Amino acid sequence: MSVVYSFFSGWVDRSGASIGGRLPGYLMALMGVVAMMVLAASPAHADVPNAVPPKGEHQGKHVEQPIEFPHDIHANVNKINCMYCHTYARRSKVAGIPPTSKCMGCHMVIATDKPRIKKLTEYWEKREPPRWKKVHDVPDFVHFTHEKHLKRFVFDNQGMEVEKVSEVCAFCHGEVKKMTVAEKVKPLNMGFCARCHEANKGPFDCWKCHK
Amino acid sequence: MSLNNILTNWSRYRKGAEEGGFHEYEHQWGMVVDLNKCIGCNACSVACYAENNLPVVGEARYAKSQFMSWMRIERYWDEPDLEPYQASPTANVDVWIETNPPAGKTALKPSMPGSYAEGLLEPGGQGFEERVGVFGTKGEMQDFGASFLPMMCQQCHAATCEPVCPVAATYHTPDGLNAQVYNRCIGSRYCSNNCPYRLRYFNFWSYYEDAWPEPLHMQLNPDLAVRDKGVMEKCTFCVQRIRVAKDEAKMENRKVRDGEFATACVQTCPTGALVFGDLQDPESRVSKLWRFHQVEQGKTKQNKQNKELRGYRILEGLNTDPSVMYLERVREV
Ligand code: SF4
Ligand code: SF4
Repeated sequence: MSVVYSFFSGWVDRSGASIGGRLPGYLMALMGVVAMMVLAASPAHADVPNAVPPKGEHQGKHVEQPIEFPHDIHANVNKINCMYCHTYARRSKVAGIPPTSKCMGCHMVIATDKPRIKKLTEYWEKREPPRWKKVHDVPDFVHFTHEKHLKRFVFDNQGMEVEKVSEVCAFCHGEVKKMTVAEKVKPLNMGFCARCHEANKGPFDCWKCHK
Repeated sequence: MSLNNILTNWSRYRKGAEEGGFHEYEHQWGMVVDLNKCIGCNACSVACYAENNLPVVGEARYAKSQFMSWMRIERYWDEPDLEPYQASPTANVDVWIETNPPAGKTALKPSMPGSYAEGLLEPGGQGFEERVGVFGTKGEMQDFGASFLPMMCQQCHAATCEPVCPVAATYHTPDGLNAQVYNRCIGSRYCSNNCPYRLRYFNFWSYYEDAWPEPLHMQLNPDLAVRDKGVMEKCTFCVQRIRVAKDEAKMENRKVRDGEFATACVQTCPTGALVFGDLQDPESRVSKLWRFHQVEQGKTKQNKQNKELRGYRILEGLNTDPSVMYLERVREV
């Protein structure tokens, strides 16, 4: 898989985003084999039962957002569940960005004197949504649904507490609760997905994801 | 693992008649096309263009058979009692199917995609040039006597296109579908050459560059990729809809219900000529129709009790085991 993939990665991707390594095929294949061996030996993730978290690191570009949204204050300090704001994750393909009304639900009264909240209130009063930029994007030819992944790792996962959902989100999004603006820290390429699908016995049919 | 998957499962989903046909599918999507009901309106074809981001290629490319209609309506002229049709020698026909075209005209080989009618074409025969109107000739058409055959990928279970792909870009899915993975396709076009139905279409150009000028690009369906030049494509039985239906069913911990969704062509057909469903579900409309017409899968020749029944599969004698059953057109004499 790695071989074929590295030949053609980025080729159909019209956005021009590179979606895979350009290493020689045999090297990729070798790396794949090594990664599989490592994976097979590693124990289940401490906080998420019945799951082998995917391996892979990535250094994404910093994406400038209209407001520097502090994920750490919300998710880490105040322990707000990821799915409180990204509420669509459990029931649709996309996790979704909350509407400004959801932000204002709290920030009518909370921290109204902070500069970021003032900026948010401006947007709210102008009746204009902040144009958030996408950080985690998979190419157009990939079918990915949040809901089924949450079903597998959270809702249908025995012994998993919904309160700890951020551990599952972290599989692909990294430790967002330690970031301010989210950064892309996982490669989210086919090797990354495929290795995880293999380790966690996910579906392995090409057409499950390729569209 | 994926390579492993391809090697071990390569033949699992490709069983021909000699091995008793297919087994162990999760689903078995199939279709029924009632030719009696088809009025040749082409709505299904248009629906497919809209659903599957198919580019409109323009007349010049069309004449070179570089069109991308995954669903095409083939036209046959079969009225036996017609007066011999006289094509005017001055008729403005660009493309002639003839070994000796008139001076200045192009000869077109009947074996090109779209000429499934090749067997019926005889040079000099009645209404000869017009029968190939499917190519986009500018010839005059007969006023009546056409019959129509909607032709989409037959999703064969022993598909001839699959074993010839050098990179396994086309393979059989656990759903009984003949899949095409665009990213993996290197454009060798072996599959298309090997398809007896001529239903595979190749992107000779980067059609997206001119097929959807602004603001038409807004109509593109986000559920499937826009293909670039150099890849093969074909009817997928609207796999993006299948995917959604299956995802929904999975989320509700149930099976996909019959009639819960339909492919774009089936949804659009105004006369209900097309029926889509899961052949593995004995209660689905398609499997009832297949049973009624005594057409079975995994056979190269149907052994019908009642010879009057109209069901047949196109070219099943080639042991392709297609998933589409056609119901023969019956005409009053
Ligand atoms: S099933 Fe879908 S892809 Fe196939 S011909 Fe019909 S509309 Fe087109
Ligand atoms: S939409 Fe129905 S009636 Fe019209 S051409 Fe297609 S199959 Fe025939």
